[in-house]
Amino acid sequence: MDQFRRIQTGKKGDIHLVQFKDKKILDDTVLDEIRTEVTQLIGKASGPDVLLDFSNVEFMSSAMLGLLGQLHRKISSGHGRLKMCGIRPEILTVFKITNLDKLFSIHKDAPTALATFT
Amino acid sequence: MLIRRLEDAGHTVRWGENGALALALAKERRPDIIVSDIEMPEMTGYEFCKAAKSDPSLKTVPFILLSTLSDPIDIIRGLDSGADNYVTKPYEPDYLLGRMNSLLASPLESADDGSAAMLEVTLQGQKFRVKAGRQQVLNLLVSTFENAVAKNQELVVANQDLSVARDGLQKSNEELSTLNAEISRINAHMVRDLKAAAKVQRSLLPADDVEIPGTTIAWRYVPCQGLAGDFLNVFPLDDEHVGLFVVDVSGHGVPSSLMAVTVGRFLTPKVSDQSLLVRQGADGRIAVARPAEVATQLNRLFQADDFSGLYFTLLYGVLHLPTGRFDYCSGGHPALVRLPAAGGDVEFHATESFPIAFVPDVEYEQKTLQLVPGDRLFLYSDGVPEAMDKDRNPYGDDAMAACIAEFRGAPVEAGVKGLLEAVENWCQPNGPLDDVSILGVEWRP
Repeated sequence: MDQFRRIQTGKKGDIHLVQFKDKKILDDTVLDEIRTEVTQLIGKASGPDVLLDFSNVEFMSSAMLGLLGQLHRKISSGHGRLKMCGIRPEILTVFKITNLDKLFSIHKDAPTALATFT
Repeated sequence: MLIRRLEDAGHTVRWGENGALALALAKERRPDIIVSDIEMPEMTGYEFCKAAKSDPSLKTVPFILLSTLSDPIDIIRGLDSGADNYVTKPYEPDYLLGRMNSLLASPLESADDGSAAMLEVTLQGQKFRVKAGRQQVLNLLVSTFENAVAKNQELVVANQDLSVARDGLQKSNEELSTLNAEISRINAHMVRDLKAAAKVQRSLLPADDVEIPGTTIAWRYVPCQGLAGDFLNVFPLDDEHVGLFVVDVSGHGVPSSLMAVTVGRFLTPKVSDQSLLVRQGADGRIAVARPAEVATQLNRLFQADDFSGLYFTLLYGVLHLPTGRFDYCSGGHPALVRLPAAGGDVEFHATESFPIAFVPDVEYEQKTLQLVPGDRLFLYSDGVPEAMDKDRNPYGDDAMAACIAEFRGAPVEAGVKGLLEAVENWCQPNGPLDDVSILGVEWRP
């Protein structure tokens, strides 16, 4: 049973798998809901490892990068690891312009990303 | 459903699909009472009733017609057919059972012929001749009256319900108007605040007719909502230096614009405690800060322990008017564009750097471009190359470069105006979804 509207969640060992359900993450409301849901998911865990899967996402606003930065800090400060996968080339451009592809740990797909957690 | 209800009440029910079948059933074994619909295939309820009443063995079996009684003529037809009772549809099964029981309790006289007479009735301008017995007329009359009373009671109850609902509605309406008034009041308040905020934001922009000797300047700024995350400015820092920047705060609306205004306070050419751009030197002369120092300082200032997700990109440059040396620094901002006076391709000068406020303790890198007289620089927000058409295709760097080159021979003003128009055309019919800022500067000492 899935309790979230914006994200589909799962677990692989101790790693939280988070897949965004939305095709478009442009709206502030959608962004706020994603923020709330992901925070709720990882809020209690200490030092969580999280994999964000973008394979459904076709469009994304630059404000989403801010949310990712926020999660990155939150997770790193708890000695967890945040990784991302399934990012389309068009969206990767947004990461590249801001150089954030260098800050975040970005992988081609979920299996590749999961392999790097060990 | 009716059959089960009657059986539950202890009756044995035999059921015929139409009048003809039911008549055959009744002739086969005499029932105590007959209940019939009027609208039926083959033989209507009236015909069935008439046939039953003219059969000596069934004559005294009480006959109830289920009628919608939508037309007074139905009563005449009922009388004519010899029916003993009407029940008006829709009915409660209990109501029908009550009728049946009272008819069963007072058996019909075996011979009513003596009292049967031809009655002449005029209804709706039509004359009817009806042969009916006294008891039948009486029964029908009573049943019709009872129906009317029952319907009247239903109406009274319905009326009471309506009256309760109306009172509730009125109360809700009053609450709604109070709420509406409250919303309008808050809305008016917010509109006023937003207008004030938009005015503060406009104060971050250059004057419409900004003129700095040695340069030609043109700019456009189109917020996609009332309040923007973008802003830009260009101003003299001292006698020899001109500062120019474009800032793009992530997101739109109030939080972004508040951050924009706060950033703007630090990016002022007026010497103050807050200005990161100029300082009063020990010798009384104004010292112009290096762009990289400005970016690094801003990043330090906008670090918060609890990062809210708000950040901004910045392209800040200082043009040295006597030499055409342009020092600049980017914080995650799209590339600086130069249109060379000598001809040739439009150049993109990109810098790999993080947005401001995003990553703590970053040293920003400074770059230098040596201009030749007539060179033009274009600073812009990502709302230009990332503007999307109706199928969400981005306008792109190539289209932007082609557009800038197209206005090479025209004044800077025409180039900036042309680029904005091209972006707006690209976004038809919905218009840009992001703030669009363009700043063009030509150096001509």
